Amino acid sequence: MIAPAHSSDPSSSGSGEEQRAIRVRILRQDAPGQESYWERHVVPYEPNMNVISVLQRIAAGARAADGRPVAPVAWDCNCLEEVCGSCTMLINGATRMACSALVDRLLEDGEEIELRPMSKFPVVRDLVVDRRRLFRGLEKVKAWVPVDDSYDHGAGPRISPEEQEDAYPLSTCMSCGCCLEACPQYVKIEPVRRDGEAPEAFAERRQGAFDRGFVGAHAISQAMLFNSHPTGKMIADERLETLTAPGGIQMCGNAQNCVAVCPKGIPLTRSIARAGRSATLWAIKRLFDR
Amino acid sequence: MTRDETAADSFFTRHQFLIYRLFSLAGLLPVGAFLVVHLLTNSSILGGAESFQDRVDTIHGLGPLLVPVEIAFIFLPILFHAVVGFVIIAGGMPNVGSYPYAGNIRYTLQRASGMIAFAFIVWHLVHLHWLGAPFRGTALPGFDPHHASSTLAVAMASLGMNLLYAIGMLAAVYHFANGLWSLGITWGVWTSPAAMRRANWLSVGVGAVLALAGLGSLVGIRRIDVDSARALEERRGEARRMLEGGVPATPAAVSADVGT
Repeated sequence: MIAPAHSSDPSSSGSGEEQRAIRVRILRQDAPGQESYWERHVVPYEPNMNVISVLQRIAAGARAADGRPVAPVAWDCNCLEEVCGSCTMLINGATRMACSALVDRLLEDGEEIELRPMSKFPVVRDLVVDRRRLFRGLEKVKAWVPVDDSYDHGAGPRISPEEQEDAYPLSTCMSCGCCLEACPQYVKIEPVRRDGEAPEAFAERRQGAFDRGFVGAHAISQAMLFNSHPTGKMIADERLETLTAPGGIQMCGNAQNCVAVCPKGIPLTRSIARAGRSATLWAIKRLFDR
Repeated sequence: MTRDETAADSFFTRHQFLIYRLFSLAGLLPVGAFLVVHLLTNSSILGGAESFQDRVDTIHGLGPLLVPVEIAFIFLPILFHAVVGFVIIAGGMPNVGSYPYAGNIRYTLQRASGMIAFAFIVWHLVHLHWLGAPFRGTALPGFDPHHASSTLAVAMASLGMNLLYAIGMLAAVYHFANGLWSLGITWGVWTSPAAMRRANWLSVGVGAVLALAGLGSLVGIRRIDVDSARALEERRGEARRMLEGGVPATPAAVSADVGT
């Protein structure tokens, strides 16, 4: 029942009782820009496993299902409790966090678990992707409260409990990128460094490409969070300027996948519609006040 | 480097927000409004050849203004909406296979129905409109506004044509009704999930009324008897020619004209 790969691995060798094996199919890629390939792995079943613990067993074994030694599969993870947002991957075809993807549930769908890296970001290696564009989106919309100076501004304004309740769900965003992965309007942008191109020139060209692409639901929602904050709204116009620039709110196609896949249940479509309303009013204001 | 590429950004990219908002607006006004008027006008054929001819005469009462109005408020806006629409479709990556949610299915259908509706509108013009007359040849009789019901009944005689019109019309109606819901989010009219659900019922209602009007028109055309409709249209034509020509509507003049 157990693949030969694990007969030599003391950590996973079973006791006398009958053991189930978990079959895993992983889309691997050795380096950026290289061809991807499928690889099968088998790990012994343990109760209460999640996809991260399966990946830990695979890394410890470092053998494919056919027993061939392979480089350990690489993946990203950190908190293991669905708050850091780093372990997003495609599990059985859908975007979700690996830490909260429980193996017992996944096996209800089928015998084999399929893991793929996110498809909207450049692959660094195996299941690790470069989510630079996601963070660039937050930077573009200035997803922060601007208080970085040397003056004492005193206590901030009071925020009513109603406003807090409205804002809190938006603040739970962990930049996991599920909303972007599921969005049909957020299309992968993967510029490649040209021969002889200086790293700085490449970084600048890449940023330009990111900035012309759709900014994404996460950034729109954060812009609305900080535009509703009494101090954050001091630069509300700058955020709306970004949201109406190329790649802004107008790129949304209202498929509403973002809100359906968000692991934190953030009302992203409400944020998008509010951003649409703000953009409408802002555009009218600009038209007549200019 | 970035400055060069920003400068090289196309007119379309630089004015993306404005163009997409005008695209969204055009879908409602004037294109969507025209669709509503068009389908409701057509459904008057359920009341018989006379009531339909009345409506057609009202529209053609615009006289020499009709063509400029058609071009400015119907053809150019549809063309603009279609061109931007195809750019939007080309920029998206439908993923309904991986994420079969209701909203995602609607997103995909919105794109499919837009393309079907556009192809259908081109065919519709070739089939019935004066714009398509040069492409029509003699095989297709076309539509004569002075013989509205009879020419329509001849043009729509085959079952296949009825099926084609039903598909094209339903695609356009879906595209408008779902687009109405989507437009409300784009402009920020309805923002909360509850408001979006209520707005959804509005869209379903608008879509249902228009679909019934469109299908009703097809039924109405099938109920037209070509000969009696033509006789009625001839009688009305006589009356109209007399009014236009200033000929006194004496019984003698009428009978003389009918006799020829």
